[in-house]
Amino acid sequence: MLALGSLAITAPWMLTALLGLPILWRLLRVTPPSPRTQRFPAIRLLYRLQSREETPDTAPWWLLLLRLVFAALVILALAHPILHANPDLSGQGAVVIVVDDDWTAGRDWAGRVKTMETLVAQAEREGRSLFLLRTTWTPADDRPFAQPLTTIEARGLIKAMAPQPTPSRLEPLIEALEQAASPAPANVFWLSNGVEDPGEAKLMERLRRLGSLTIVSDASTGPRVLVPPSSSGRSVNVEAVRLSTGPAEPVSIRATAADGRVLAYTTAAFPNGQRRASIEISLPIELRNDISRIEIEGETTAAAVVLLDDGFKRRPVGLVSETQFQGKQPLLDELYFLERALSPFSEVTRGRLSSLMRGGSAALILADVGVLTRGDHAKLSAWIEAGGVLIRFAGPRLAAAGLGSKGLGIKDLLPTRLRIGDRALGGGLSWSRPLAVTEFSQKSPFAEMPPYGEVLVRRQVLAEPSIDLDENTWARLADGTPIVTAQPRGDGWLVLFHTTANPEWSDLALSGLFVDMLRRVVGLSAGFVGVQGDQALPPLETLDGFGVLGAPSAKARALSRPNADGLLSVGPDQPPGYYGTALTRRVLNLTIKPSDFQAQASPPPGVLMQSYSVGTEFDFRPTLLTAALALFLIDFLVTMILRGLVAPRRLAARARGAGLAIVVLLAGWLLAPGPGLAEGAEREADAFALEASLDTRLAYVITGDHEVDAVSESGLIGLSEMLIRRTAIEPAGPMGIDLETDDLAFFALLYWPITADHLPLSDAAVKRVNDFMHNGGTILFDTKDQLEGGVSGGGAGMRRLRALSRDLDIPALMPVPPGHVLTKAFYLLNDFPGRFTGGLVWIQDQQSAHDHEVTPVIIGSHDWSGAWARDRSGQFALPVIPGGKLQREMAFRFGVNLVMYALTGNYKADQVHVPSILERLGQ
Amino acid sequence: MPDVIREQSEALASRLPPLQVRAERVAATVIQGMHGRRRPGQGETFWQFRRYQNFEAARQIDWRRSARGRELFVRENEWEAAQSVWIWRDSSPSMRYRSRHDVPEKCERADVLAVALAILLTEGGENVALLGEGMSARGGRTGLNRLIEAMLVSGGGSSVPPPGPLPRHAGVVLIADFLEPISVYRDAIAAMASNGCKGHCVQILDPAEEGFPFGGRIRFEGAEGEEPHLLRRADHVRQEYQEKLALHCEELRDLATKVGWSFSSHVTEQPPEAALLSLYGALSRTAV
Repeated sequence: MLALGSLAITAPWMLTALLGLPILWRLLRVTPPSPRTQRFPAIRLLYRLQSREETPDTAPWWLLLLRLVFAALVILALAHPILHANPDLSGQGAVVIVVDDDWTAGRDWAGRVKTMETLVAQAEREGRSLFLLRTTWTPADDRPFAQPLTTIEARGLIKAMAPQPTPSRLEPLIEALEQAASPAPANVFWLSNGVEDPGEAKLMERLRRLGSLTIVSDASTGPRVLVPPSSSGRSVNVEAVRLSTGPAEPVSIRATAADGRVLAYTTAAFPNGQRRASIEISLPIELRNDISRIEIEGETTAAAVVLLDDGFKRRPVGLVSETQFQGKQPLLDELYFLERALSPFSEVTRGRLSSLMRGGSAALILADVGVLTRGDHAKLSAWIEAGGVLIRFAGPRLAAAGLGSKGLGIKDLLPTRLRIGDRALGGGLSWSRPLAVTEFSQKSPFAEMPPYGEVLVRRQVLAEPSIDLDENTWARLADGTPIVTAQPRGDGWLVLFHTTANPEWSDLALSGLFVDMLRRVVGLSAGFVGVQGDQALPPLETLDGFGVLGAPSAKARALSRPNADGLLSVGPDQPPGYYGTALTRRVLNLTIKPSDFQAQASPPPGVLMQSYSVGTEFDFRPTLLTAALALFLIDFLVTMILRGLVAPRRLAARARGAGLAIVVLLAGWLLAPGPGLAEGAEREADAFALEASLDTRLAYVITGDHEVDAVSESGLIGLSEMLIRRTAIEPAGPMGIDLETDDLAFFALLYWPITADHLPLSDAAVKRVNDFMHNGGTILFDTKDQLEGGVSGGGAGMRRLRALSRDLDIPALMPVPPGHVLTKAFYLLNDFPGRFTGGLVWIQDQQSAHDHEVTPVIIGSHDWSGAWARDRSGQFALPVIPGGKLQREMAFRFGVNLVMYALTGNYKADQVHVPSILERLGQ
Repeated sequence: MPDVIREQSEALASRLPPLQVRAERVAATVIQGMHGRRRPGQGETFWQFRRYQNFEAARQIDWRRSARGRELFVRENEWEAAQSVWIWRDSSPSMRYRSRHDVPEKCERADVLAVALAILLTEGGENVALLGEGMSARGGRTGLNRLIEAMLVSGGGSSVPPPGPLPRHAGVVLIADFLEPISVYRDAIAAMASNGCKGHCVQILDPAEEGFPFGGRIRFEGAEGEEPHLLRRADHVRQEYQEKLALHCEELRDLATKVGWSFSSHVTEQPPEAALLSLYGALSRTAV
């Protein structure tokens, strides 16, 4: 290497090649440029013509200069000049870089990376083989000294390396080094952290055996760490520790909330000659509970951050369900509402009473359970005494239970004595109106409840007045009647909501008030502290080497059982951070014991010391080569033009074309639809939902057969017009439904024509249709094949329907019985003709259904839409068979009855009772 | 085999319309103002009514006109005598040349001129044929179409008009660059003229062949396998070249006028209408 001031030239002998430049000049000058070739038909006229003066056939001077500069640049680049070059490495052999990438490295990682890169560049220049070792090495990583790294590999590794939020563990590394075939001799550079790690002396000893050892360490002050706060009263006390004693030094502590708000900022000082500083953060209690992170300002290490969790408690809630099975109509089920209200903040389990008590529940909920058995009663009482919270809801069964025993009392596990029966507010035969829940007792957990709007109660059970009723009442209606009563028993509570947990008796279950009330009541229970025995906590958020909280690293494993002394320790698999779920999280902090936190002992003699401050080299070679390449390209282009192979104008046009293409590509890339598509689909779904739900609409299934679909649409339009003309139902235009994509929830009635070649349904469509039927929708299957099938009903459409319905959850069927609601929902009908007549119409078997249910399916073959359909001129599109205006009229009457039935349910069935009601009113 | 024929004819059909359309456009600008023979005779267009003479056949009487008066009239049409014109255009490789992108190749211009001339001639009732293709001269749309087909199929021929069998006193139109040595043309033209044919030579030149806009060190290559020629400073010989070209053209013109033919020169950067007009004018003067 030749040094010229700050400029060093690595291969100075290459510069002798510059002497060859004048020879090159001569050579280029005497060689004439090759002539342009020109095609010319009139060449015969040119023969014997020749220019008289003999001008020199040389290349233009500027082209010569260009080529000389090109040659000079290449020679200079080969000489490899470097500005501010670092001196050569001393000694011989491989270069081994050992880097401390434990938690301390977060402070000055950039310096370490720069030092490593410089060392790699020097090793490359001198052709040394290269090895890289990390002090947070684990046996899962590549073995040390397995294979020398290429420069590119080493640079990639350095780029990918990041400080680990864990302490370094030297023992496994030393062990692995003992086993590995180490390169010798070697120059070892240890990029040290300045902190004494256990086993450091041993590692140093091992590394010195390889060859010369240079320790690169930071001259400035060492890192500072924060000790997690001890539990305290009003204030939070934290302790900061510095590496070595010294003069007094200020230290700033910042406490932030989970959302990043700075809650407190305190500055204290390390006293002169002491390593520890105690800092007190005093805050109002609400703010203190918000603290989620305390850190030393200016320290970017994981040990300078303390995370706090929310002293978490599990409060599992049991829903007592004697059947285990969900009701057929989940949206009316009480347990469904309770589960939805509770699940955001507690674990909810359903089960029988005995199994729930065995499994351990903080609170139990009995929804509308009347009298308890003697055994359950005893067990529940004991459980409440031990700190359980029993929440009961009223309902028809609880109200009826009192009838036999002159009202239920405290002995029936109720907080107060109840009157017989229940009280209805509002309704057709009453002057009273539904009342709102307005008043909350200030002594109850409901104190300071935020306003939730008007929550109306229509029906409730009434408490018998007593002396302690007022004291036991937590919430009242507007007229003062208790709606929530409670009584403490032992360590536990007994709470009764005087209304149902579903919307049957009140709006409570639909309001946010319900959720808030339940949360507060469940919060009364003792709960279970600590991590459940065998449960492993998955990593939720972890700190990285710079003390930044983020998504858990790929290496992080779930926290398992704590070790013998009850502490969880940070390790390579378990970085500090939060574990568990978002609601129940457990914190794991990187805690450095002050006794283990010592400055590095001074190294033995013979070890070189160096600091991180290294100059930045500037390598001219890439720049020179780039310039040479550019000149080469220019020369190439010029030569092409001079020889007439490329016309300058055409070249410019092509360049314009290429530029335009690039611009178009870029624009296309920028405007790429990407997320726009998903957004569009969502907007489309919203538009469909709005269209379907803002007006009442009839709906038909699109079969894919255009003729059938057209008849369906015009038939339903005809029926809609008839409904508007004759009844109070005013439907908007019908909608076609694609079963594979569209949501059925918006419709009460679906008209489904079945053709012989109807396509089979996908699983998603089957599920959608089944859900529709379970949740109270009605489907009219129309097989349109009465003519071909005859009386036995075996037409092509019916056969197809049988095949299709194999997957559908179609209940047992029966022909429409005389007197069914379908025959009298609006018109009185005896049969249900469409375009055809004479076939049977099937509905759900009344034996298998509850009386109040609307049949989910109506199956017939009369082609009703064909009878309703009109063509463009307003005439009926298809003839009715056998015919007659009466049949057409009857077909419309069936349509009206059908829609009435689907929309209003079975209320017309009550008509059978009208005579007896009238009789009673008359008395 | 049928496949090959079909392919060729499809390729032909795709090339035919642009050439014909372009030629028709050129011809349309010239056709106005040109008239027929201006005398009664065999023809299709009405010329005059004249008195019926006793020796004439009764079916010659124009009854519609005669019913208007007491006299009988005979309808006479204009005489349309057909002459046959044999067109030849140079399709040798040297014609496939253009020096710039905004001028057509010489052969393209020659084709356009030939077809446009054929259109004009057939519209005027003459018979046309392509010289050297063994065709007989035909008139009307058929003659035109056969000429165009023959033109598209032929190509890559020699740069000298073939000594094809020519009827006596036929019209001949030669379209070429006439850049071969003058003796070649002298023989061909003399042979035709001795047969009593009247002819017209149109020389098509590229602007570069006329102006010689070259400079610097250039190796010139011919189009038909001529010896390449290296010029060290091309711009220095421009004057000499132009003089030589003018001499060559003058000799050609002498050659043509000696046998009573006409000679005109056309550069491809000029519009083809001018060349067509002068050619058609010369043709109609000599033919009538």
